[in-house]
Amino acid sequence: MAQGERGTAAGDFATRVRLAMADDHLRGALDRATGLFTARRSAALASLEHADAVRDAARAARLGALAHLAENLERFEAKLAANGAQVHWAETPDEANRIVAGIAAATRTRVAVKSKSMVSEETHLNAALERAGVEVIETDLGEYIVQLAHDRPSHIIAPIIHLTRQDVGRVMEQQLHVPYTDETRQLAATARLRLRDAFLRAEMGITGANFGVVENGTICLVTNEGNARMVTTLPRVHVVMMGIEKLVPRLADLDRCLKVLARSATGQKLTVYTTRIRGPRAAGEADGPEELHVVLLDNGRSRILAGETAEILACIRCGACLNACPVYRTIGGHAYGDTYPGPVGAIVTPGLRGLDAWRALPDASSLCGACREVCPVRIDIPRMLLTLRGAATKAHPHPRSLAAAMRLYAWTATRPRLYRNVVRVGGWWLRRLSRDGWIRKAPGLAGGWTRSRDLRAPAVRNFQQRWQERQRQRGATR
Amino acid sequence: MSAARNNILARVRRAQLTGRIPGFGAERRAALTATSAGPREQPAVKPRREVALQRFLDELALLGVDYHVEPSAADARARVAAIVGSKSVLRWDALHLPYDIGQLWPDAADGASPRARQAAAEAGVTGCDAAIAETGSIVLLSGEGKPRSASLLPPLYVAVVRRNDLRFSMADFFAERADAIAAARCCTFVTGPSRTADIELTLTVGVHGPGEVVVVVGP
Repeated sequence: MAQGERGTAAGDFATRVRLAMADDHLRGALDRATGLFTARRSAALASLEHADAVRDAARAARLGALAHLAENLERFEAKLAANGAQVHWAETPDEANRIVAGIAAATRTRVAVKSKSMVSEETHLNAALERAGVEVIETDLGEYIVQLAHDRPSHIIAPIIHLTRQDVGRVMEQQLHVPYTDETRQLAATARLRLRDAFLRAEMGITGANFGVVENGTICLVTNEGNARMVTTLPRVHVVMMGIEKLVPRLADLDRCLKVLARSATGQKLTVYTTRIRGPRAAGEADGPEELHVVLLDNGRSRILAGETAEILACIRCGACLNACPVYRTIGGHAYGDTYPGPVGAIVTPGLRGLDAWRALPDASSLCGACREVCPVRIDIPRMLLTLRGAATKAHPHPRSLAAAMRLYAWTATRPRLYRNVVRVGGWWLRRLSRDGWIRKAPGLAGGWTRSRDLRAPAVRNFQQRWQERQRQRGATR
Repeated sequence: MSAARNNILARVRRAQLTGRIPGFGAERRAALTATSAGPREQPAVKPRREVALQRFLDELALLGVDYHVEPSAADARARVAAIVGSKSVLRWDALHLPYDIGQLWPDAADGASPRARQAAAEAGVTGCDAAIAETGSIVLLSGEGKPRSASLLPPLYVAVVRRNDLRFSMADFFAERADAIAAARCCTFVTGPSRTADIELTLTVGVHGPGEVVVVVGP
């Protein structure tokens, strides 16, 4: 991919959107994938008894953990330490990467196998470890392909929905020197063979954490492929890198969160492999890691927690808001430019990396509210998008011409006779600019609006005219 | 204690005072004084064991897991022997396998075997610490003589479930086996065969873990 290094994409948001929208294959794949995920999610939630109560309970658990986060983190740390795990704290991505590189050096790690982890994408851990001489191998099938192709994931739970099986076949042919095939089962079999070898060779396994349970210091991991189990069973060392926000207070909360996570993400009742880890292997055990390290990363999360968008930290990374979002469904994940795409990304990315450079993201929403509706923990994403838009406008006020135009509009709109005439003349003029009922390039200030979408030409008879006619007819029949 | 730890905790403590967390702080106090019905999501009456078994089997069928319900220990043992056939086996220690199933293969690979021999095994056989009807899950608690790799490395995985292992929900298991859970370093729920849909959303089984899972339910 032209964007090269995994992580922040090149170019501005508008450019990335234009590229994505010109990609017919991407549009088709997104349509199919998001449609399927959405349908499966609805069916799965319908099969959950008391679904609303479970969602409310999951939400309360996540928000409750955040409301007392400092105390929860201390308790979580103490419980893990009591079981023999080593807990590390990192304020920045660099610090987190240095800690993991340090563990790799101390344990003479040459090969590390990695289960899918969004946080390590955020810190660019792979590049940091490779600079330290450690070979890092992604083991989630999608992430493995992404790594082989030097590409970037485009969906939280389906990293390569932007690729066809033919693309995958070519990547494997070039990078692994195997005969080309576009048969999915064969491609998966090749990956199984290669990665099985890596699991058995690796000295270190690296994972994220889906949840941390405060009550008894549990790291909870879910995968369908079983790679997280491999990574936490075979290597001598297990390193967990997790954001400080991923806690739930009690074991009972975990049950509810897992129920809504699996249903919202893939439409399953439970993910195939749910692993809860509370420490390194116990005396007498045949497998499991001898050392367990947990790296707790802040990287801007405490800043988000202090403000108006604190609620987004309750996110359980299911990806349902991506699938529901008309904007994500059109532009895909790469256009968002950073680790977290879609509606959740439009709030998390400005929060983690600064609103200034990422102020285009909160604008990438029609505020239709579909994300809030599907969110398993009912996060009010539209409210926060508006908050961020407000903050961005305060920092960078709109051009004076726009403010003047809004004042002119307000002045006109409060004078009915004038307004009707302006609308009539304006409608006539816009229809003259249109072809086949669509305006592809609006003039002047409005040009920005049509850069990424077409504007429908106004109707010949507008609402006010039709309303008046209707009232007249009613009067006549009475 | 590291500087990072102190800095992060100090920032989080300050943030808790200013952050907008719906339902907590002022909002929570208001809500509590109004009404607090609390969520009620569990069925009031626990389903009977036979209902739980039927639900368990239904869920297994949906997951693409073959299952066999056997009336006696001897039948269960014979069934497992037939499923495994002449395949090489990686299993839990005989002590942890019900119905004397361990005696079927006295020389099978176990937790103490070299990794290469474990990895070469064609079938994995384990008992379980619980089975969850609601989701069709096999629950495995780690411990001596119960290698985690037996349910993970071989392409075929055979889980042996006693009727008494059956629980309706995950919540029931958490409540009833709290001590056992607290003693284990790793607790795994296995719900069907290893699967992926990463390539064009086409379901493919067995990408890392077992592609074939068979459950034998004994008395």
